[in-house]
Amino acid sequence: MRAIDYALRHGWASLVRGKGSTVFAVLAIALASSVLGAVALVTFNADRVLARWWESAEFSVYLRDDATSEQRGMLETLLDQSNAVGGREYVSKDQALARFRREFAELASMTAELGGNPFPASLEVRLLDRADETGAGESLLRRVATLPGVADVRYDRVWLARVGQGLEALRRVGLALALLLGLAAAVTVASVVRLGMHARKDEIEIMELVGASAAFIRGPFIAEGLLQGGIGALASLVVVFAGYRIGVALWGMDLSLALDGMAPRFLPVSLGAALVAGGMLVGSLGGLIASRRVGS
Amino acid sequence: MIEAKNLSKLYDRSVYALRDLSLSVEKGEFVFLTGPSGAGKSTFLRLLLVKERASEGEILVNGHNLTTLSRSEVQEYRRGVGFVFQDFKLIPARTVFENVSFVSEVLGVAPSQQRRRAFQVLKWVGLQHRMNAYPRELSGGEQQRIAIARALMNDPPLVIADEPTGNLDPDLSLEIMNLLREVNAGGTTVLVATHDRELIRLVDRRSVTLDHGRIVEMS
Repeated sequence: MRAIDYALRHGWASLVRGKGSTVFAVLAIALASSVLGAVALVTFNADRVLARWWESAEFSVYLRDDATSEQRGMLETLLDQSNAVGGREYVSKDQALARFRREFAELASMTAELGGNPFPASLEVRLLDRADETGAGESLLRRVATLPGVADVRYDRVWLARVGQGLEALRRVGLALALLLGLAAAVTVASVVRLGMHARKDEIEIMELVGASAAFIRGPFIAEGLLQGGIGALASLVVVFAGYRIGVALWGMDLSLALDGMAPRFLPVSLGAALVAGGMLVGSLGGLIASRRVGS
Repeated sequence: MIEAKNLSKLYDRSVYALRDLSLSVEKGEFVFLTGPSGAGKSTFLRLLLVKERASEGEILVNGHNLTTLSRSEVQEYRRGVGFVFQDFKLIPARTVFENVSFVSEVLGVAPSQQRRRAFQVLKWVGLQHRMNAYPRELSGGEQQRIAIARALMNDPPLVIADEPTGNLDPDLSLEIMNLLREVNAGGTTVLVATHDRELIRLVDRRSVTLDHGRIVEMS
């Protein structure tokens, strides 16, 4: 505990002493953390809307208007025998029209002008959760599409999965960019800490000569990096939060529409804490690199 | 206390800083190491502080074989050696008290013990009234007394001084030597490297003269 207390006290003192150079290190970490924070904010909100869509995703089989009752029966037998299906509901043409008029009241008058019922009858299928994991959902989709009397099949989770993959790719690009910037930040921290070490070379020599352990000698430098990283990451959270507030103030309605009616949210505490911890880790790494030869 | 046997230190595989040096210093002795610049005095002290390792031979201090010590054993060994340098090596940003107590602090000694011991050694060198001053506010002689106080913080059995009076005028030099003599009177072995012949004459203790890395005279 004394070693940690010593390291933090002297790490902080060194950080204050080297204000000018410290700013560079803090800025480098803040930049890397801001990129990661911004990507995390976007993907966090996109994940929320994706999760909602995933929950309400449908597997709908649209029937041709001339589909016979035998063809419909064959389809229903196939669905009932499938181990991917948890339940099904038949929606007739009239029910589909009524549902449209109910859900899109402002467009209801248009349907009267059409002169007939343009909506097809359909079977709305509820798939079991495991159907996505085993691929049974997609396999069923392909088989159903080839059956006679079937006009079209819509399975939302197929495209939702593609959106999810796109989001994952964005997350990886953001992470790679942040890692690259994090590496540059660690090098900046190492250079700044090394400057401080040069100014304290007599102190280091004395510590070595009195028999202080390597951990005790390196501790303040690692702590200095850790504090720079923590401050930089906290600053980035402030920047990302300010960006979020400005975004909400300027494009709140558009963002809400893009999020399927959900209000955009800032990063949860756990992600914010992870960001700060990441900054501290990068900073400590810089301090460790700078002081790796000290006391050995 | 110190036993050097056939000790050699080579630089660049051909330049001998020390050559086949054998020397014995008894526990509680006060010994001067003298000779011209480049004689090997500082090299010998660097070997004693394990800042460098011998190329040949061995050197034993207080039962430790310095040629074979591991990193952790070096740390342990150094805790029993006090050191004083010509340029004092005080930390400018710390007060006198902090400069002295810092030795115990980095060794993890409890704060109350640190304070007690620091005050004790500062009082011993007669500078307890300057404990809140910074090194830049002190004279050269006072700075060296602080360096001696710092060397005594761990109550080491051996104190090594490398040209401790090199930056001081003759009066202050004698004052510092008297202080080291007092340290020695308490039972601590003291080894002082100096090229000041007059000082050696005044202090009147055993001296070992080196030249070109070899012992050329013992008196």
